[in-house]
Amino acid sequence: MDYLEFAKDVVSRAVERGVEAEAYISVGQNTSVNVDRGEVEKLSQAGSKGLGVRVVRDGKMGYAYTSDFGAGSIEKTIEAAVSLADVADGDEYRSLPAPQPLPEDDLEVYDQAIVELPIGRKVEMARRIEKGALRYDQRVVLTNRCTLISQYGTVAVANSKGVAGSYDKSFIGGFVMAMAADEDDRSVAYGFDFGSRLGDFKPTEVGKDAARKAVGMLGGKPVPTQRASVVYSPMAATSVLGALSRALGADAMQRNRSFLEGKIGETVAADMVTVLDNGRLPGGIATRPFDDEGIPTAATRLIDEGVLQTALYDHYTATRDGTASSTGNANRRSHSTMPTLDASNFYFQPGQETPEDVIGGVEQGLYVESVMNTASINPISGDYSISAKGYWIENGELSHPVNEVTIALPMQELLHNVKAVGNDLTFVPMMGALGSPTIRVDGVMIGGV
Amino acid sequence: MLPNESVRRVLDAGLANGADLAEVYLENKESLSLILDEGRLEKATQGNDIGGGVRVFYGNNAAYAYTDDLTEESLVEAAGVAAAAGQNANNAAVCADLTKGESPVESRIERPFEEMSTQEKAGILREMDEVTRQHSPHIVSVQCGYTETRRRVWVYNTEGVWAEDDRAFIEFQGQVAAQKGEVRTSSMTGIGGQIGLEFFDDRDPVGMMPEAADTALLMLDARPAPAGEMPVVINNGWGGVLFHEACGHCMEADFITKGASAYTGLVGEKVGPDFLTAYDDGTIPGRRGTMRFDDEGAPTNRTVLIENGILKEYMWDLTEARRAGRASTGNGRRQSFRDMPMPRMTNTYIDAGPHDPEEIIGSVKKGLYAKRLGGGQVEIGRGDYVFTITEGWLIEDGKLTAPVRGATLVGNGPETLRLIDMIGTDMSLDPGRGMCGKGQWARVSVGQPTVRVPKLTVGGTE
Repeated sequence: MDYLEFAKDVVSRAVERGVEAEAYISVGQNTSVNVDRGEVEKLSQAGSKGLGVRVVRDGKMGYAYTSDFGAGSIEKTIEAAVSLADVADGDEYRSLPAPQPLPEDDLEVYDQAIVELPIGRKVEMARRIEKGALRYDQRVVLTNRCTLISQYGTVAVANSKGVAGSYDKSFIGGFVMAMAADEDDRSVAYGFDFGSRLGDFKPTEVGKDAARKAVGMLGGKPVPTQRASVVYSPMAATSVLGALSRALGADAMQRNRSFLEGKIGETVAADMVTVLDNGRLPGGIATRPFDDEGIPTAATRLIDEGVLQTALYDHYTATRDGTASSTGNANRRSHSTMPTLDASNFYFQPGQETPEDVIGGVEQGLYVESVMNTASINPISGDYSISAKGYWIENGELSHPVNEVTIALPMQELLHNVKAVGNDLTFVPMMGALGSPTIRVDGVMIGGV
Repeated sequence: MLPNESVRRVLDAGLANGADLAEVYLENKESLSLILDEGRLEKATQGNDIGGGVRVFYGNNAAYAYTDDLTEESLVEAAGVAAAAGQNANNAAVCADLTKGESPVESRIERPFEEMSTQEKAGILREMDEVTRQHSPHIVSVQCGYTETRRRVWVYNTEGVWAEDDRAFIEFQGQVAAQKGEVRTSSMTGIGGQIGLEFFDDRDPVGMMPEAADTALLMLDARPAPAGEMPVVINNGWGGVLFHEACGHCMEADFITKGASAYTGLVGEKVGPDFLTAYDDGTIPGRRGTMRFDDEGAPTNRTVLIENGILKEYMWDLTEARRAGRASTGNGRRQSFRDMPMPRMTNTYIDAGPHDPEEIIGSVKKGLYAKRLGGGQVEIGRGDYVFTITEGWLIEDGKLTAPVRGATLVGNGPETLRLIDMIGTDMSLDPGRGMCGKGQWARVSVGQPTVRVPKLTVGGTE
């Protein structure tokens, strides 16, 4: 089936009702394999498909979706979208975007090798994740949820202004929980890796990473409550980026829901802080040729050497701004949601120092390896207080493990207090496609005993 | 949905390769969601999600395949894909007669969603918005949302299970932002349950908004929360999210049977104070976690998790129950037909205790009162948890003296449960906003009376 032709056909049917219309189609094949002690404990395989129809009339928008591609269901879906638009309130900035030329660079988001990967190889890769963990150290007593996921599919978007595009995408990933135990303590940690290309995926490393973290945290204890320097691992640093990306959305800025509202042109961070969003990063998790309303993705410099430059825009927020253009950041979780503004590959630009040098620069402080409850960080107020695990830094070196502590500092201060940026940019796909090198932040409040 | 003869043929196809159990799950979900922002009804979405899955067991291992095409032919094909995972299996299982299951929960949607127009539903959002804006000039943003879902499920398996459930779900959400000079705050609220339009008989989505606005306004002038160890008193109702996160997840059977939970092997052991009793109850009328049957066709239950401080029972799904050679407790849930079930909580709460709630606050010389909590997270293997206090108060000499902002609580679940030294008489369930993520989303309810923990780590900035 030609999904782009199908999307265009849906658009032309909807237009007959006197509306602007957009059709979004997503079709995919998913496999998930779960192993336990080498045995395939759970295996799931299937194809799925979905259509979302967005219509706009007099600035009023309606949306409806279905997973049934039969003619009757399509008519019903269009009808539902049109009647919801009648109920909605109009807005002079609401419209569908006109087409823009699509650059033809190879974004490396589709790998035929993932499509052709036989089920036996997938099972074997899941087993390698588990072995990587169990063989790392004899204190690794078990693994749980050892999972391999592979997906591939097609996305097509068309609208009545002439937007028409489709692309194929593939994905492979794995994760595992490893538990380590000794006479006095037990600890657990997760390892994971996701990517668009089979060749980049290293299952054994996923297991080893979980095991290394779990074993390292055995005997972890809280430290006394104090203000100190904190060195964030790339994974822990993404806690800062998640809330920052939401605060940098033009919707949050336009609607009084960002601690960065009104600050464009101002210094909002230390001068070593540069923040980028790049939807065209080759092979990136969030990379794609155009966003979920058909606008080409782009590289956007949001904070340049500490100075706030711009926000992230979709078609609506750019129209409303009047002078901005969309940065290609319209995103949907699936065909069942209308596009919302979201970051793509969003990251701190790396610096020159090695991670060892960053840690070496701290006499006494906390090295944070992993964090929890990052969803609680508030992009409106800037309140930032999360739990952390890691190691105490003693004279520039990691010493004993630390757990059950909190780290807190308002985001406004945190960005200004960045004192070192490493050269080890790493993307952490579990939290979107956020990327960071090792960074050091001074004056963070550590809550412990 | 499908005639029983068709279901039988799908089940037989599941058994064809020597499996010992096959299951068919069918689902039809219809949703409407409305979002009002800046006083405008901006986003209105409606949709339908239909599909089915076939699960085939070989001993403790399971294979699953699903389809969004609900014809016998497609389901038989899915059954074939799932059955193919079996190697050298030769169980002689045959399909038992399908018998329609009974549940302790009555199925009744008194007033279906169609009795109210979309325009009327949007009207409630408009009222929520107006009431909030009029509340204070410092309110700078109001966002309100309405969601209704009707999810019909049919579950059959080769042991004769035949269960049907028709779940109506309503939810209202509100988010408020306040500003004074450079200081910004926000607050969220929600109310909902498994219920039809009779929801409006005794629940008031408009009424919850001024309270949420008050929290945001109060936080504008709040001082930063303290950091360090101190006594903490947690409010009743939604405060039960502490027990859900810190202990409930560690009592879900998938982590238990692996030996991966802090509560593995502790049934019959003392895990909390004598006056602590806790339940998971999927049968409470109208609550978020309420169902007639779980997503594997087992009737829901009221499960005593802890009785007088003694751990009594875990929460089981079919997979883990088979592994342990016992019955499910009706806790097998899945997000949709695209997902395999796992043990999940339903409505989980700590029951009323012996202490007067005012005396509990009065007993603290210097500590923190967590009046409103946000979300939380737990690392199930060890039980380490964290969650956010969205409205906190300092307690000084037994009195609430000053609001504080930006506080987080961290601790270890099993340890915190043992430490609890006062439980109030004022048990209540939350108004209905709990969404639990464990790889899949599930709507849950939580509850508790006022609870005191004599020593917890608070993560503020002072």
